[in-house]
Amino acid sequence: MSKPVLTSLHQALRKSFQCLENNQKVWENVLAECSPLMVSLGNLAEQSTALSNVQISNTPLRAFPDLEERLRFKLLQATDTVLNKLSEKMSSLQSVRDAISNQVSAVFQLYEQSTDSLDLLTVTERSAIAPSVADMLEWLQDAERHYRQQFLRRKTLLQTLRADNLSLLESAPKRWKSLESPSAEDNITDTLCKVSFFMESP
Amino acid sequence: MEGESGDITVTSANRKGSAVTGSARKIKDNAADWHNLMLRWEKLNEDGFKVAANVVNIRGSPSDRQLAHESSSPSLSSSPAELQNECRKLQDIVHKMVVVVMKMERLLTSQRGIQDLEEFQFAPEGRKSPLFHTWNTKQFEELSQVLLDAFSQELKLKQTILQELAHTWTSDLCMVYLSCWLHQPFIPPETRLTLEALLLETGHRPL
Repeated sequence: MSKPVLTSLHQALRKSFQCLENNQKVWENVLAECSPLMVSLGNLAEQSTALSNVQISNTPLRAFPDLEERLRFKLLQATDTVLNKLSEKMSSLQSVRDAISNQVSAVFQLYEQSTDSLDLLTVTERSAIAPSVADMLEWLQDAERHYRQQFLRRKTLLQTLRADNLSLLESAPKRWKSLESPSAEDNITDTLCKVSFFMESP
Repeated sequence: MEGESGDITVTSANRKGSAVTGSARKIKDNAADWHNLMLRWEKLNEDGFKVAANVVNIRGSPSDRQLAHESSSPSLSSSPAELQNECRKLQDIVHKMVVVVMKMERLLTSQRGIQDLEEFQFAPEGRKSPLFHTWNTKQFEELSQVLLDAFSQELKLKQTILQELAHTWTSDLCMVYLSCWLHQPFIPPETRLTLEALLLETGHRPL
């Protein structure tokens, strides 16, 4: 009785890990694209701070009375452009998170529907090529939580930024970098290694 | 801006291709020249920014210099020559920018000439039907003036930066100079729109 149920659960798990593998790459790429943007955000903030620290009328630039206003406008405009690009990147990250969350919740739904026909042994049994269903569900859940948290943290960071709050902007690249969690990323890579035989098996 | 450089190519071939003559021909060519000069300016601005950043980096912050002096490090002894070299490069670039603005002035003069001719040929109120789509001849002159004013002022700023950059000791002011160089405060975003409007009106860009 439990055999067809297990097969379909295995299918769903395979699909989820496939989805995880694809999206892990997308996630990494998007994050890599964000780094230079964060750096330019910090640079622009530094430039604005420098402009605030300088009394233009005491410098050789005093010949250009509207310079400060014009430069500030250009800096704000550039900051805005970078923030817009970052928010586009955030939508890409969001779609990664959504894809993984949807896939994982579908597997869990399937699992919960079939609990009656799955006994403890079937769920915890593992072989040389396939980890147990329980383990795989746990790994998926860990991965899903990781992307969910990462997305929220990064999104929150960006949402607190304002083009006119220079100290927040200046520290943003550093705080962005501190959100990196290589161990969690490594865990996901490990997971994908552990299920590689399982994914290749029919 | 860079990406759009390939959008229109003005070669002698496609100048002959269209059957525009007289004042319209001249205005159309001027529009293409505006486009090319502005591209050239952008390129010079990028190159100049790299050189200007080098100048600031070589010179280093005052504290660096003091440290280097105290330890009398020989590695920094080549700095003055290097600095001189970079300053000369920047000077060359600003000189090329002067040439670009001179050419822009000539475009305005030519536009004025067309306007004068028009007033001579027709009454002071100008020709009845527009040369291209909707603009009257006067508008081309006004636009050229707007563009020229922006670039002339920006050139003055660059010249000031060129003079001061290597003699500035406060890092904030250095940063402001670099920031000015990069962001070109006197060339507002509308400049690009003005150029696009000009290209659209004269038929370089398809409607």
